[in-house]
Amino acid sequence: MKKTIHFTLNGQKRSIDVAPTEILLEMLRERLGVKSPKCGCDRGDCGTCSVLVNGRTLRSCLMLAVEIDGAAVTTIEGLGKDGEMSPLQKTFHERNAFQCGFCAPGMILSATELLARNPEPTRDEVKEGLAGNLCRCTGYTPIIDAVLEVSRKSGEGK
Amino acid sequence: MAIQEAFEYAKPKTLREATKLLRKNKGAMVLAGGTDLVGYLKEGFVSPSLVIDIKSLAELKKIEFKGNALHIGALVTFTDILESKVVAKKLPVLREIAEKVASVGIRNRATLVGNICSAVPCLDSGPVLVAMDGVVHVKSTLGARKIPAEKWFLGARKTARKPGELVTGVSIPLPKGKAAGCYLKLGRYQGEDLAQASVFVLMVGGKKPEFRVAFGSVGPVPSRGRRIEKSLNAGESETAARALVGSEIKPITDIRATREYRLHMCEVMLERAVQAARARLTGDGPAYGAAII
Amino acid sequence: MADHKYIGKSAVRVDGKVKITGAAQYVDDLEFGPGLLYAAIVESPHAYARIKKIDPSAALKLEGVVKVVTGKEFPYRFGLYMHDRYVFAQDHARFVGEQVAAVIARTPELAKKAAKLVKVDYEVLKPVLDVETALRDGAPLIHPELGKYQHVPWFFPEKDTNIAHFRKVRKGEPLKGFEDADEVFEDTYTVPRYAHCSIETHGAVGLFDHSRRLTVWAASQSPHTQRHLFAEALAPLGITHNDVRVIAPFVGGGFGGKAGVSMEILAASLATTVQGSPVKVLWSRAQEFYNTYQRQGVVAKMRLGVKKDGTITALEQKLYWDAGAYVEYGANVVNAAGLSATGPYNIPNVHIDSVCVYTNLPPGGPYRGFGYSEFLFGLESLFNEVAKKLGLDPVEFRRKNAIREGDILNYGGKMNPSGLHECIEKVAREIDWGKKRVSSDPKKAIGKGFSLFWKAPAMPPNAASTAFLKFNEDASINILVSAMEIGQGFLTVMAQIAAEVLGVPPTKIRVETPDTDRNPYEWQTVASHITWSTGNAVKNAALDAREQILKTVSRALDRKVESLYVEDEKVKSREDAAFALPLRDFVINGIMMKDGTFRGGPVVGRGMFMPEFASALSDPKTSQGGKPNVHYTVGASAIEIEVDRETGKIRIPKVVLGVDCGKVLNPELLKGQVTGGMLQGLATVLYEEMRFDDKGRLLNANFTDYKIPTAMDVPDEIVPIFVEHEQPDGPFGARGVGEHTMIPAAPIIANAIEDALGVRIKSMPITAEKIALALKEAAALRKEEK
Repeated sequence: MKKTIHFTLNGQKRSIDVAPTEILLEMLRERLGVKSPKCGCDRGDCGTCSVLVNGRTLRSCLMLAVEIDGAAVTTIEGLGKDGEMSPLQKTFHERNAFQCGFCAPGMILSATELLARNPEPTRDEVKEGLAGNLCRCTGYTPIIDAVLEVSRKSGEGK
Repeated sequence: MAIQEAFEYAKPKTLREATKLLRKNKGAMVLAGGTDLVGYLKEGFVSPSLVIDIKSLAELKKIEFKGNALHIGALVTFTDILESKVVAKKLPVLREIAEKVASVGIRNRATLVGNICSAVPCLDSGPVLVAMDGVVHVKSTLGARKIPAEKWFLGARKTARKPGELVTGVSIPLPKGKAAGCYLKLGRYQGEDLAQASVFVLMVGGKKPEFRVAFGSVGPVPSRGRRIEKSLNAGESETAARALVGSEIKPITDIRATREYRLHMCEVMLERAVQAARARLTGDGPAYGAAII
Repeated sequence: MADHKYIGKSAVRVDGKVKITGAAQYVDDLEFGPGLLYAAIVESPHAYARIKKIDPSAALKLEGVVKVVTGKEFPYRFGLYMHDRYVFAQDHARFVGEQVAAVIARTPELAKKAAKLVKVDYEVLKPVLDVETALRDGAPLIHPELGKYQHVPWFFPEKDTNIAHFRKVRKGEPLKGFEDADEVFEDTYTVPRYAHCSIETHGAVGLFDHSRRLTVWAASQSPHTQRHLFAEALAPLGITHNDVRVIAPFVGGGFGGKAGVSMEILAASLATTVQGSPVKVLWSRAQEFYNTYQRQGVVAKMRLGVKKDGTITALEQKLYWDAGAYVEYGANVVNAAGLSATGPYNIPNVHIDSVCVYTNLPPGGPYRGFGYSEFLFGLESLFNEVAKKLGLDPVEFRRKNAIREGDILNYGGKMNPSGLHECIEKVAREIDWGKKRVSSDPKKAIGKGFSLFWKAPAMPPNAASTAFLKFNEDASINILVSAMEIGQGFLTVMAQIAAEVLGVPPTKIRVETPDTDRNPYEWQTVASHITWSTGNAVKNAALDAREQILKTVSRALDRKVESLYVEDEKVKSREDAAFALPLRDFVINGIMMKDGTFRGGPVVGRGMFMPEFASALSDPKTSQGGKPNVHYTVGASAIEIEVDRETGKIRIPKVVLGVDCGKVLNPELLKGQVTGGMLQGLATVLYEEMRFDDKGRLLNANFTDYKIPTAMDVPDEIVPIFVEHEQPDGPFGARGVGEHTMIPAAPIIANAIEDALGVRIKSMPITAEKIALALKEAAALRKEEK
């Protein structure tokens, strides 16, 4: 039986009828047209489907859509403010912290959560925080550097 | 991949309501973190008629220290454990375990209780419970039961949970004296991996130190190393204890490791875990979570 | 060296914003409306079986199932270099997972459900799962028709065997070379199969519309080659090149896996059966592992003849490649590796057999490195063993034998400009070669490894690139090319090249992924040849546009064309410093004359590049006589590792990679290739591996058990070193480099392990488990001896 769920998606209130069998990733992509969360492995290994739910990254491929009733969901489309990219997005761009770009949305969301939890992570903490997001192109080094740079800059701003 | 077999979804507001639903629906399954369950649903490994989402049951979201035991509710995620001050103070080795479970995006959802309900042989939450005489709390409309961890794990993916029962949490009795532990997990690389083998050691200080030892991923269920404990308790060295590993576990060869490597590494890990626990007890050991293997 | 404004600078990626904001569209992100159909594949559960009967009736009964398609509808063979492949299995299925039929339905769930209902009767045959069995007398023939297959002239299949191609290289006098040697060493090394593991799986959507136009949207490295192969394969249906259009949106990683045509043929073919409706075929992660190209496994048997002073007198390399069930692309890996299997060494006498062997495993094919990583593991490991036995320093041994510009290559021609020796010196210095560190932890041993590497683009001699370049009113530019952005930064580098020629900043230049209807021809984005080849085409297009611009200004304003140049989006004059005509004033509308008429008009440049000096024709018995390779990119690499003597676990404090890819066009992007390629390479040697059971089933078709590195698995430090000996025919002197950065990974690790522990491991991957058990065994042996 379908159930009507209410939630916020990138700051906007949404409601939609979902069947219990619907997967969050599929609902976002196929029914709401939010295409930045990608399907890379369909079983929680790769992290490309990551979305922020109430500020925490979750695997949207391992979540029923019905479970987000009442929650706040953020995808990379919702990170920027007033048409400006977030500091992490900007730094990823400037530092070539991506190549094919497929993992970038999930990676940046994980980095966003990491810095929210731990604004001044060590290099090892950054590695650990991003270890659930696979990237086959970059070798991760530019990604780790970009996250540390954002952390450093926001620290200086204080 | 969508789920092929239809099911109903319910999100009870009280524990009573949840156990009632469980009793009424033989084909019901419980959803907490869902990192295992949703995967199984997608793959078609399970096809419940009803999925009972217990995330509204706030009382199951608690980590508490009472009656000299650490209680972990069924909705406590591994991230909750990592961020818990109670855990950090009372049983820091549990953080070492939680940190080695998968990665952030999984830990934010996956629960310790879910881990022991799935009961796959490579589970990370098993050895600590078995070694520390942990207790699994279940509830049904018929009442409550407490099941010792060693009796909880019946086989690979098999537990002592009976139909209609809901696991509400686990409790881990803490030793009286000062204690320190170490959990070592062998993986194929540094990143997230399922354990090829794992060793848990707890050392309780005092004039005559006492040890608790358990192994994971080297048999269908996590197993306690009682001969090793006896030897260590008798004051034998960890190097001597290595020789007993072969008598405690009978690992198999599979895609993740050979029997030989598992056996060898359990010896190495046992020795290093005892050393780390001993050093931690005196306060100069490696930080929890530091690379020891 | 000329002073450049945009070349050699780290321009920020032109595809940055679109990717970083989530706006970039990959094939599965495209919308096709409510008429979209989905295909699910019925796969062979057997490695080798005769298909007796296919019964689709139960599947067809499900409401929403549109069609079940089998091999009967498409009895056509096709392939890139050899026509040995089918759209669907015909009378035989040759690997586990091979497509036997497809169900087209209105939802993906339904298609999947119905695919399970298609009943296939098989007669199970004994599969051939390794090269040794395949080469045995009386081995079952996987392709009995091999003798009849059409193939390129540089392949030499041996009919009535499982040898799909046999590349022989004979240089000098190998027999005499071994006679002249003071010592001869021999050994065997093995390399398993590997998976590309792009995070985006393969996907394609086909639409055969009511006008009989076939459009395919694909995650692709090769849109034009795909168009060509679709047109060839489907020609019996009356489909021509003119009817086929391939559109390639952004690609979520390639690494060779999305080159040629693999599963894309399904979207193209299935579309023709449901005219008017688009059909999506999207590979699951598991299918991505077992039914796309795989990196081939190899057994390498080597003999090396040396003088006491370390001079190599002769090399014999016998490479037996496990090429899988279909080799239409993979056989060229065998070919390319065979031609270059000496590595970057000047060896006077060479005997190479590179043998492409059919097996009942999934098709082998292109993978970053194209065979070079595979043979280099054994070769560079053996070199270290030989140096050790001769009492020579391994770097000295390499220095002595490393190739130089002008040295004779294995097939005849001369070596191109090369900074190899400079790379050796710089890499050795950076890794502090010769200084042995000792760990403060007695459990840890520290070792260093060194290796050289090289690779040439493997491509047909006439592989060509073309480019269109068009100006817009504001003097911004669109470049149309058909090479693919697969992450390497290709679009950005093309913008830089045009920017340099036309004096327009890269930020004002748009380069996008192609549509074969609109964008001009490109062979494929493979072989590390795009910067060089497409770069030349873009440069030529920019030069063409610049010539038009200068001529127009000369004609309209009566200025000598030789005096004019472009800079900062203006045409300027060397003779008149005050003259500066903004491009925006005339690149579309032309220049108005006094009488109100105009000169010039929209500027559209056109460029082409094809190497007219290459030839794949040579003596089949020796490979002498042709010029199959356009150039080699070379380098040296070294590593320091810290290994735990008990656990076998390795930590990598430092890796150095020095490469001479000619002029560096964008240092940041190049660094990206080094850090990314090196980690990919390290993973192949440390833990990645495709594991098959004795029935030919892939056991680890997922990221749970096929481990690719995470952020926690990166070396502490990767130091890139760039040596720039310009390529005379490269754009601004550039040569390719994309694949090279992973090629030396296996031997540097293997050699460092030997240096640290004295254990030589001869099969990849070199897992912690293998090291620990080898050490345990060695200790047991020592104990026994005592």
